[in-house]
Amino acid sequence: MRRPSLSTWLYVTPLMLVLVPFFLLPTLVVLVASFLETDGFGGLLPTFTLANYADVLTSAQTFHLYVATLKFAFLTWLFTLIIGFLVAYFLVFHVQNQLLAIGLFLICTIPFWTSNIIRMISWIPLLGKEGLVNSALLGTGLIREPLEVLLYSGLAVVIAYVHQLTIFMVVPIFNSLARIDKRVVEAALDAGASRLDVMLYLIIPMSKSGIALGSTFVISIVMGDFFVVKVMSGGSSASVVSAFYENVGVLQYPIAAASAMLLTLVLIAMIALILRLVDIRREITQ
Amino acid sequence: MRAGAGDIELAGLCKSYDGVTNVVDGVNLKIPDGAYCCFLGPSGCGKTTILRMIAGHEEPTAGEIVIGGENVAGLAPVERRTAMMFQSYALFPHLTVRDNIAFALRVRGQSKAERYKAADLMMEKVRLTELAYRLPANLSGGQQQRVALARAAITEPRVLLLDEPLSALDEQLRVQMRQELRRMQRELGITFVHVTHTQLEAIALADIVVVMEKGKIKQAGRARDVYAYPRDRYVAEFLGGQNVLSGKVEKVGDGLLVLSQPNRSGIQVRLDAEVRVAVGDRIDLAVRRDDIELVRADAGGPSDGATALPSRVTAIEYQGSFVKVMLDTVPDDDFVAYIPERTFFRDPFTVGDVLLATWSAGRARVLA
Amino acid sequence: MTVALSETDMPMIRTRRISAVPRGGRRPWTFYALATVFTLYVAALYGPMICIYILSFQDIRGGLVFPMKGRSLHWFIDLFTQVRTGDVNGSFDRSIKLAVLVTVITLVVSLMAGLAFRRRFSGDTFVFYTMIGSLVAPGLVLGLGVGLLFQWIGISPGWYTSALGAQLSWTLPFGVLVMFAVMSRFNSVWEEAARDLGATRWQTIRLVVIPVLAPGLVAVALFGFTLSYDEFARTLQTAGSLNTLPLEIWSMTLNVTSPSLYALGTVTTIVSFIIIGASIGAITIINKRRGVRATGH
Repeated sequence: MRRPSLSTWLYVTPLMLVLVPFFLLPTLVVLVASFLETDGFGGLLPTFTLANYADVLTSAQTFHLYVATLKFAFLTWLFTLIIGFLVAYFLVFHVQNQLLAIGLFLICTIPFWTSNIIRMISWIPLLGKEGLVNSALLGTGLIREPLEVLLYSGLAVVIAYVHQLTIFMVVPIFNSLARIDKRVVEAALDAGASRLDVMLYLIIPMSKSGIALGSTFVISIVMGDFFVVKVMSGGSSASVVSAFYENVGVLQYPIAAASAMLLTLVLIAMIALILRLVDIRREITQ
Repeated sequence: MRAGAGDIELAGLCKSYDGVTNVVDGVNLKIPDGAYCCFLGPSGCGKTTILRMIAGHEEPTAGEIVIGGENVAGLAPVERRTAMMFQSYALFPHLTVRDNIAFALRVRGQSKAERYKAADLMMEKVRLTELAYRLPANLSGGQQQRVALARAAITEPRVLLLDEPLSALDEQLRVQMRQELRRMQRELGITFVHVTHTQLEAIALADIVVVMEKGKIKQAGRARDVYAYPRDRYVAEFLGGQNVLSGKVEKVGDGLLVLSQPNRSGIQVRLDAEVRVAVGDRIDLAVRRDDIELVRADAGGPSDGATALPSRVTAIEYQGSFVKVMLDTVPDDDFVAYIPERTFFRDPFTVGDVLLATWSAGRARVLA
Repeated sequence: MTVALSETDMPMIRTRRISAVPRGGRRPWTFYALATVFTLYVAALYGPMICIYILSFQDIRGGLVFPMKGRSLHWFIDLFTQVRTGDVNGSFDRSIKLAVLVTVITLVVSLMAGLAFRRRFSGDTFVFYTMIGSLVAPGLVLGLGVGLLFQWIGISPGWYTSALGAQLSWTLPFGVLVMFAVMSRFNSVWEEAARDLGATRWQTIRLVVIPVLAPGLVAVALFGFTLSYDEFARTLQTAGSLNTLPLEIWSMTLNVTSPSLYALGTVTTIVSFIIIGASIGAITIINKRRGVRATGH
């Protein structure tokens, strides 16, 4: 049954009706705004200027911010990948009962459905100076004084990120692993491969697309975040987007726009790199 | 039970998906009203495509389809008054048996009372009344098939199209359900077009067997004609039951035909009728496998006028009521004899035995 | 015919025995290691939230950290009555209403897009990557863009315009992705069967496609609701003067220093859990009736 392209486009129109004005156009607007001047009061003067980009690209602050944010992104990616992969692998290959596997999988995803702001403030009673962790460590005599570094520090930021984002790794990797035909693994074992061989040569390559998808999510979210950093570092660290937010706060739209475009470019570059390695579209629509 | 003739005529029917190869290549066929017609062939021969074109789910690239005297080009399936039974039955998983069957009437706007009444009648006919409220997932394969049949038949089509309806069932059920299909066809009195790749199924059910290869019809006719009198090598081999020897004619005349093959010459075959072949022709000769008698080489020779070819047994397969004996009679072709079981065990052979494969003069046929 | 095994065959066999897939219940050491990792992960996942829930039940002497002081519903009452803790009632109300609207729109639009994407059509790659882009774009940037855009056009940011749109730009890609996964399990032969029996295009969608896809549609609705309900970054810039619940919580974290915040966390989580529970329950019931196993056949 062939459906002409026109009626198919009609089906996709509502989607585009939202995406165009709320994604494509705003992105375009920000792009344009980055080339304009500010009138100092939140308005924009229609003069073309590259001054904004010059400011953003030459400021030391930008450089430090990106370094800091990229550091967070890398650490988060590393830990979410390791934990996410292990969890997904466990669920797919070691849990024998299908129903149980899906049940456990759901248990992992449920926190995602609750407010992430709440999850953020929930670290205070746990990691704070008077928090549970410190009390436990003091109580067992492992440390003499409460660890201040647990909360309001770079470590806390990474912990919060990993806590929040591992699920983004677990889901796509779980999906990829579940698609692996177990009979292929059995055939390999039958032929004399060790379990390590199977892992290295079969399982990891076959989960590449899941890893790529997960990495895309994790990296974009960390690069685009300001909130977690702000709260969990207690202000001691800043991120790219937090600086952006400050600019917006003082109505310096063009500079904010320029740094936004820069972030977008960096993000596109990173994602394009990942996509080079894996065809995500096929993975999703199969 | 039906109004309007269900005879089908296919004229020059062609279908191509890529403009280069024809999946269906110039098919001409006439199926009389009320006949049970089976399309038989291996996967990819085009039989399912033809079925779908008759149904209206595919458009022909060229040629015409005429049902009941009406050219159905461009008509939707429902307008053609045909109904299809899909290979996996395609029962709606979220509807009960009753609702599945009543579906066609529902989309026509009939009221609940009306359509349930008709559905109940239909369920009685296929003996499903106790299962009326079950969901398809809770039905056995045979039951699902009956639901699919009822669902298609309720629209009172003039042609019912069946796409490999028995492939999903296991052996024993398949044989049982065959009879069910035959019974339904007789009762409904409409044309059935049934696609299958199983020879025995086709010859068991069909009034007309259509053997296909690579988009073309190789032979169409009554089951017996196709099985016992295949027209060419392909049909003979596909239907099974025949040995085909091909070779070049070395000598012909006086009731004797001598063939030669690349690896063996001087194959002498006795014939009792005139054959119109000349020396040097390449021909195919067919002998039914159950016409062959196996005689030990030292047991005093075959009866007069029979063909006798020395052979060695290469394999033996017990098939219950007969025994399949594979021989190397003709090195370039398979040669198999079906020996009735009791006959075989009176003096069983073993692999490696040398004997004579014999058949009486009139049993060999030259294929076109 | 039997053949004696030679020396060279033996090492292979020895290796095989060690590396065999565990059959009959004997588990390799990796199972226990991974199970431990998994348990720790789930504990870490739920741990912080559970602390909050516990702490929200303190009485009036309660502080922000352990040890817990007393047991009462004090802070819950405080939450809904005291003005200084913020406009919880109002923002809760608005969040729910907006979330419901987003859910309905996401459901319809995702279903349509999912149906469209079953075949390739011209421009499908463009639509696909636009969707992915909308998903990974930093919320704040889009918020700024929408804010500026509306400013230029002259519409003031409002509830059912900019906030709605901004949230949809986040929920729709998710919804469509879920539809992709759901569609891949949908067998189009049912549509052909319906057509064969005489159903029109619309009848087929209404009577066959939607009912069969029902569990998947519930999943899309679930995504739509919770993503909207919890959405923060994009809504921040586009909500105008009235806050949604997450925005309210955000301002509270900046101002409020009492366990009423925790009480809010508990309440909002309960709402989420109710919605999730209802959805999963619905999906399970539907699938059970149809005899669909957990693997989705």
